[in-house]
Amino acid sequence: MQRRQKGLSDRDRERYLRQLPLVGEEGQKRLLDASVCIVGAGGLGCPVSLYLAAAGTGYIRIVDCDIVSRSNLNRQVLYGEGDIGKSKAGVAAEKVGTLNPDIVIEPMEVSLSGDNGSTVADGVDIIVDALDNYPARYLLNKIALEKDIPLVHAAVTGYFGQLLTVLPGRSACLRCAVPHPPEITTSPPVIGVTAGIMGCMQAGETLRILLGDEPIARDALMVWDGKAGCWEKICISRDPECPGCGSWRNNG
Amino acid sequence: MVDTVHVRAFARFRELFGDALEVRVKVPATVRSVVQEIARMNPDGAHEILDGEGNLRKSVIVLVNRERIPGNGREDYPVHPGDEIALYPPVAGG
Repeated sequence: MQRRQKGLSDRDRERYLRQLPLVGEEGQKRLLDASVCIVGAGGLGCPVSLYLAAAGTGYIRIVDCDIVSRSNLNRQVLYGEGDIGKSKAGVAAEKVGTLNPDIVIEPMEVSLSGDNGSTVADGVDIIVDALDNYPARYLLNKIALEKDIPLVHAAVTGYFGQLLTVLPGRSACLRCAVPHPPEITTSPPVIGVTAGIMGCMQAGETLRILLGDEPIARDALMVWDGKAGCWEKICISRDPECPGCGSWRNNG
Repeated sequence: MVDTVHVRAFARFRELFGDALEVRVKVPATVRSVVQEIARMNPDGAHEILDGEGNLRKSVIVLVNRERIPGNGREDYPVHPGDEIALYPPVAGG
């Protein structure tokens, strides 16, 4: 499924020249050996896939069943007029693949469900929640907990965004943080840069976990306010009664 | 007797209610009396913090002195003079 690295090639050393001082050869090999599943190829999924590919994440699975529509184009920066009507996962995989042809990008054109959830997340090191609704997000949270795979969640509305990283058994989960989803009657408005900022934060958090660093949004909702230009950190504890992770063993 | 509670509003609530509010409430105060006073002071944004029955919307995250207040009974959580309440409405889109 994923590229197994024996070492860095000269081409790798050139491509990743400007980040090797930060991540080291071992870190870069770790990234090239890593596999990530991005569920949702919309406003969040586009920047997540671009930056994970640019950093040299060896295998990226992009999951989305939607097709590109014109109203996506203000924020879903992988797509253009010529892509309208095409599969988001397919176009995203193709475009991200041109950015970095040395990694493997797999499009998966499915809608996340209880039946396919295990397959969607099969064999990956990290799951990225780039979805647009809470029922699907809660399902992905459940899958991540069941399969013991870290989950990097973000959501956006308007000028505002939130980030949360779930380490199964070792942190609060999405349902501890947001036990009751906001009531949404229509598609919320989003300014493209909000999705860009939060998608980049998800990519950064994913790289942090892959490199063995402490995620910044563990047990905390990081809230971005693009109107005021500031971040707030809301500390979250595991809820022992949580329907998502309450029965999970405590690994400290 | 009336006293002052400091309220911090995040994200959409900051837009609606301002960054740092000083809310005057009768003592003994609770989370409920504070949010109802905020809604009274801001009728245009009241429906975003209170539901149709006048209760705090379930989705709103509440912190008192930076501690998350979970559970169904959180509206009865006591608030003391000088306490800081923070309110955040989670977002949903992607």
